[in-house]
Amino acid sequence: MMSQRSERRGIHLDQSELLCKKGCGYYGNTAWQGLCSKCWREENQRERQKQIQEDWALAERLQREEEEAYASRHQRAQSQPTITPFSKFEERKTKEKSSKVNTVTKFFTPSAKTPPKKDTTSFDTQSSPSPSSSSSRHPPADTDHATREFIDFLKPLKSGREIFKQCRAFTESMVYKRDMGADELSECVQDFYQNLSDRLQTQFKGSTEHVESVMDEVEKYMMTRLYKEVFCPETTDDEKKDLAIQKRIRALHWVTIEMLCVPVDEEIPEVSDSVVKAITDVIEMDSKRVPKDKLACITRCSKHIFNAIKISKKEAASADDFLPTLIYIVLKANPPRLQSNIQYITRFCNPSRLMTGEDGYYFTNLCCAVAFIEKLDGQSLNLSPEEFELYMSGQASPHWPQGAGASSPGSAALSQVHKRLDLLTGLGERQDRVIEKARQLESDLIDWTDEVEQKVQSVLESFPQETHNPTATTASGTTSAAASAIDSDNVENERLPPPLQPQVFAG
Amino acid sequence: MAAGGTGGNSNKTYSFKVVLLGEGCVGKTSLVLRYCENKFNDKHITTLQASFLTKKLNITGKRVNLAIWDTAGQERFHALGPIYYRDSNGAILVYDITDEDSFQKVKNWVKELRKMLGNEICLCIVGNKIDLDKDRHVSVEEAESYAESVGAKHYHTSAKLNKGIEELFLDLCKRMMETAQAEERLKGNGASQSASSRRGVQIVDDEPQATPAGGCCSSG
Repeated sequence: MMSQRSERRGIHLDQSELLCKKGCGYYGNTAWQGLCSKCWREENQRERQKQIQEDWALAERLQREEEEAYASRHQRAQSQPTITPFSKFEERKTKEKSSKVNTVTKFFTPSAKTPPKKDTTSFDTQSSPSPSSSSSRHPPADTDHATREFIDFLKPLKSGREIFKQCRAFTESMVYKRDMGADELSECVQDFYQNLSDRLQTQFKGSTEHVESVMDEVEKYMMTRLYKEVFCPETTDDEKKDLAIQKRIRALHWVTIEMLCVPVDEEIPEVSDSVVKAITDVIEMDSKRVPKDKLACITRCSKHIFNAIKISKKEAASADDFLPTLIYIVLKANPPRLQSNIQYITRFCNPSRLMTGEDGYYFTNLCCAVAFIEKLDGQSLNLSPEEFELYMSGQASPHWPQGAGASSPGSAALSQVHKRLDLLTGLGERQDRVIEKARQLESDLIDWTDEVEQKVQSVLESFPQETHNPTATTASGTTSAAASAIDSDNVENERLPPPLQPQVFAG
Repeated sequence: MAAGGTGGNSNKTYSFKVVLLGEGCVGKTSLVLRYCENKFNDKHITTLQASFLTKKLNITGKRVNLAIWDTAGQERFHALGPIYYRDSNGAILVYDITDEDSFQKVKNWVKELRKMLGNEICLCIVGNKIDLDKDRHVSVEEAESYAESVGAKHYHTSAKLNKGIEELFLDLCKRMMETAQAEERLKGNGASQSASSRRGVQIVDDEPQATPAGGCCSSG
């Protein structure tokens, strides 16, 4: 039919030309490059897949490059000023590597909601990664696990099923409220905690410990599931604040232990060890999902700080010692997403723990440290405003003048570098002097030859040529004759015995 | 929940947060270490730190958990005060009787606390180091009249001689309990109001009543 009609219009189309080019027997379509719908879809899919993969490979490469550039920049920025306070700099660097990566990846994931990965390898090995799927990196297994644990915990309780039902219902309802402001979300969760704990209080006849252990589990279950929705939500400027504090801490890299009056002596190996552990713990906070676990990281960090102070000062640490040290640790660690974490804990942690507990105390101190860092000026470091400005702008560093005097290994290396530099500049100067002298010699020589030439010229001019030339030739003639006569005079030579020949003795 | 005001042996446990404020070197840490560990300048202090300490008390049959928060006293940390003292039930303001300046600092703290927290916080002004009475630079009359004028109690202590510290904390606890009880009574009168305002969340309130009857999970 079709071919007949097309023939009538004067266009000849062979039946075979209408068929799919793949030869599957179906009709093809020019819009699909002569393929049938089925083959086209396959082909197109393959093409698109290839494109996606190429894009992804490119994105990955770019990211890696950027990461490397950032890392090297970071390293440079850090290594220079931290030499003095960081005695075991290299070791720390490697220890912190994994945590550093967290900070770095943070910069490249558009939404800060994603929990950081454990290391880079997990990032590379992910099979079907695409930038937009980054938010689903945490496998649902995690939340399933939390749910299972929660159920196991509640099983022996009388009203366990009831508690679970309410928590689940509440958690699910929260998902639909994600457009609400962070404060409202926090209010909802806090109200839920309050109501539930009130009810548990009547149920357990006021056994506070029991209520608290249940509330801990409730918090763990709910926040594991809600983490993605409520950590650093888009409705807030948490992320902006994160970047601001991160930048601020980086700008303050030059702050020394002496400026903060930190009573910690990092030359004692045990102390510097505690300092490293404290830094690691405060960085690790970001990798936890449950507020209680985050608080536990802060507490562990604080305990390490106390340990460092106790070894240095040989007495129990007071708040006068603790806060400056914590500030120092935060400056050195530059923990990822610091503000988001603080906000998250404030909003969704069980209030009783935050208000009166030991964890709460350390958390409050962390908030204080952050507030101090934000408002820090020259006065609070016993510096003049001019000095502070110089250090902040990077035009001066407090480490230079101390380089020679301080005795830590880092500064020893620094002073050595300085000595070498001095030596090198000395060498340069000497070389310059040599070159200058050489130039002078050269010009002297030129002058001298000119002078000689002039003298010769003047002499030549003052004496007529004819009288001089014969004398010159005769003079040279006598000398050559004298030279030839040396041998000829030596007549006795012939009477001398022949010179000794070297002989080989059989040995 | 048992209301603390009426029942003689109610099972409610009070939890109080007390902040220690005062300039560095006035002996805040010594004071609290003496109270919680009964030690002074001891090399064998068991606690790792002396900045957060707790004490369990039993006052007229009621359990009290006291959490004592030390604060950094250096001048440059003064601005951080509000972060420390928010939600605290009591504040202990320590000065050194040999140091006029430290008393001036206490006055500043009192002014700030009253402005930020009003009258719901119990204030104690403490003149420490009375073992150094011969070097006294803050007169007893001046300190006590000032304390009275701002609605605070004044105490004289010596961490070194262990004088007046037990009384200070006991007194403070009693006052905080009174404040808490007064607050509870107030809440009790307006219970319906506060309850309804807190009911913004969906908690299925009729189901718990069914639970005990059914006892679905009772056997485990």
